Amino acid sequence: MRLLLAVLFTLMAAPSIAEEQKLTAKDVVSLAINEAIRPGFAQYAVETTALQQGVAELCDAPSEVNLDAARDAFKSAVTAWSRVELYRLGPLMTENRYDKVLFWPDRKGIALRQVQGVLADADLDATDPTKLGGKSVAMQGLGALEFLLFGTDAEQLTTAAGAFRCHYSRAIATLQADTAATLSAEWNDPAGISKRLLEPSESDPDYRSFREVAEALTGLLAHGTEAIRDQRLLPFLGRDGAAPKPKSALFWRSGMTVPSINANFEGLRALLEKSRIAEATTAENLWVSNSATFEFGNAERAGKVVTEPVEQALQDPKQKKALDYLVIVTQSLDTILGENLAAALGLSVGFSSLDGD
Amino acid sequence: MWQRRAFLRAAGAGFAAALLPHRAEALERAELVFASSIQKREGGFAAALVSERGRVISTIALPERGHDITFSPTGQGVVFARQPGTFAVIFDPSGASQPQTLTSVEGRHFFGHGAFSPDGKLLYATENDFDNARGVIGIYDVAGGYARIGEFDTFGTGPHEMLLMPDGETFVVANGGIETHPDYGRTELNLETMDPSIAFIGRRSGGLIGQMRLDSGLHQLSIRHMAFDHQSRVWFGCQFRGPSADRPQLVGYATRDGEIRLIELPEATLGNLRNYVGSVAASADGGLIGVSSPEGNTILAIDPDTATVVASLGLENGCGIAPDSVGLLASSGEGALSGLAGSPAPLTTFELNFDNHLRLLKAV
Repeated sequence: MRLLLAVLFTLMAAPSIAEEQKLTAKDVVSLAINEAIRPGFAQYAVETTALQQGVAELCDAPSEVNLDAARDAFKSAVTAWSRVELYRLGPLMTENRYDKVLFWPDRKGIALRQVQGVLADADLDATDPTKLGGKSVAMQGLGALEFLLFGTDAEQLTTAAGAFRCHYSRAIATLQADTAATLSAEWNDPAGISKRLLEPSESDPDYRSFREVAEALTGLLAHGTEAIRDQRLLPFLGRDGAAPKPKSALFWRSGMTVPSINANFEGLRALLEKSRIAEATTAENLWVSNSATFEFGNAERAGKVVTEPVEQALQDPKQKKALDYLVIVTQSLDTILGENLAAALGLSVGFSSLDGD
Repeated sequence: MWQRRAFLRAAGAGFAAALLPHRAEALERAELVFASSIQKREGGFAAALVSERGRVISTIALPERGHDITFSPTGQGVVFARQPGTFAVIFDPSGASQPQTLTSVEGRHFFGHGAFSPDGKLLYATENDFDNARGVIGIYDVAGGYARIGEFDTFGTGPHEMLLMPDGETFVVANGGIETHPDYGRTELNLETMDPSIAFIGRRSGGLIGQMRLDSGLHQLSIRHMAFDHQSRVWFGCQFRGPSADRPQLVGYATRDGEIRLIELPEATLGNLRNYVGSVAASADGGLIGVSSPEGNTILAIDPDTATVVASLGLENGCGIAPDSVGLLASSGEGALSGLAGSPAPLTTFELNFDNHLRLLKAV
């Protein structure tokens, strides 16, 4: 979208501000990569390695304790993933990686059907990471693993009776760790995506100038709040007064629905604040940056109100209200990040190309 | 074409009296008038009639973001909600009557485009039967207060623009192939299994006359917008949903006889479209086809006979295209309106943001 490019454009076109703050367009991109994106993917790689180990230990020694540990590792991996999953450019968007990590939205419940099919057939291919990696993306992601660890009959994992289920889980966890390691490595590669973003060139199909890099980065923010609302909150809260559908929530089985959403907000906030992109505004427009911080704070507080798994939370008026409020926060952030930020930077708001039609 | 005198006469005395001074003046000065959905700078959405010289003649408030506008042969305008919107607002460009709001029926939403029958008695709109991921054409009876009286299949998923062919009997529908469901907003749910097509459909029967697809390797090339050239060939523009580093051709044409092909734009030109064509429009005589990319800030004018680019315009966030008497005009999300390919219209800037489509308001 245009506003992003607007940001960098202003950084370059308003030397007085940029000089004061010693920020260049390249600085903003560099901060985004070094302070938000790379640490995020590094943490995600660490947590998925722990998940892989946790599931392997469960398979080696099935027990309630080890199942609990594997479940905790799953939750930590989900949180780390949710912090970076809205950084949807570069490595995450090639080779179907996003879909392989998380097949979502899954309106027709394809993942559940496929996982149940694998369990019913005891398909040994599903226990081999290489073979599993070549199968449907829906049966090798976090959604599939959640069902195996938390869904119907997951208690089998505490005994030898759950060996096949555990080995399938281990294969998924291995693929997740591999993907996370690859993503982190590619972001850290000085000759890879970071070079493309830091040194845009005419020969690059995606990033020919800092304007286009800035477009991409700012687009992550505006599209991120939209994704939280449209793909995470509204599918289970129900649109336009429709009845809530807790089982349409992502990660409802593990109780990670709202923690994941909270981490989504954290990831966007980190990108906005660590990159200091909003500081490239005039003094009278600093409210825009403040507004964004204020709304991210509201999201954080509302998120903390929701303490129970989503099915119970929807029954509690206080928690339901907090969830509804999160929708409103995403709408405010749409305006702040998608419109006000660009306006504050002295440029008109890009509109036609916000997203496809 | 544009006959301002006829417009004023048709509108009648009541209309003239109701004109804002600048509105009357705009018409008096023989300016062309264009219609577009807009976003207001102060916030909020509307449909606007603007003159080529930079005047906002009138606006019609909309509850949410609008998309395309179509006009009936008798002069009524309809602005459709942007997908997944559920409203369409019928308005009289002269301002003589109050706008009327239509709501899509349960289980359907609008896709932002539509067309009238040649006699203006029926309105058709592309709609989403979202629970079945099936495209439909909703049929509305104008005299019956725009009551929805039926629907046709579009023989595809995610229909976007629909046009009535010059024969007055055949619809051509761009089935973009992308599944969406309002439970998930605008999220695209089937990028791996997209099946875009162009469908020719009988206006009276709803029967499928012909359907064309690009090569199977291009299944992620969403066919979205169309216009007719002077041979009644259907020129179309696509949006690519595959890997961003890929650069498939995006512009082509199809005929009712079953021909479909993508033209070969030069690599640099294609690169400037950034895998995203936002609108397609023809010049008044059909001798030029305009395509736009707001992603690539580029407007191209293509000679349909040679399939070559004959003019281009760099326009930040440029998307809407409409003809004047000689060339094309393009509008932008930054409020710019500018002529190209022979149009004498100078660059004009409005204090509003134009949405994706621009339409020339014809006199009746």
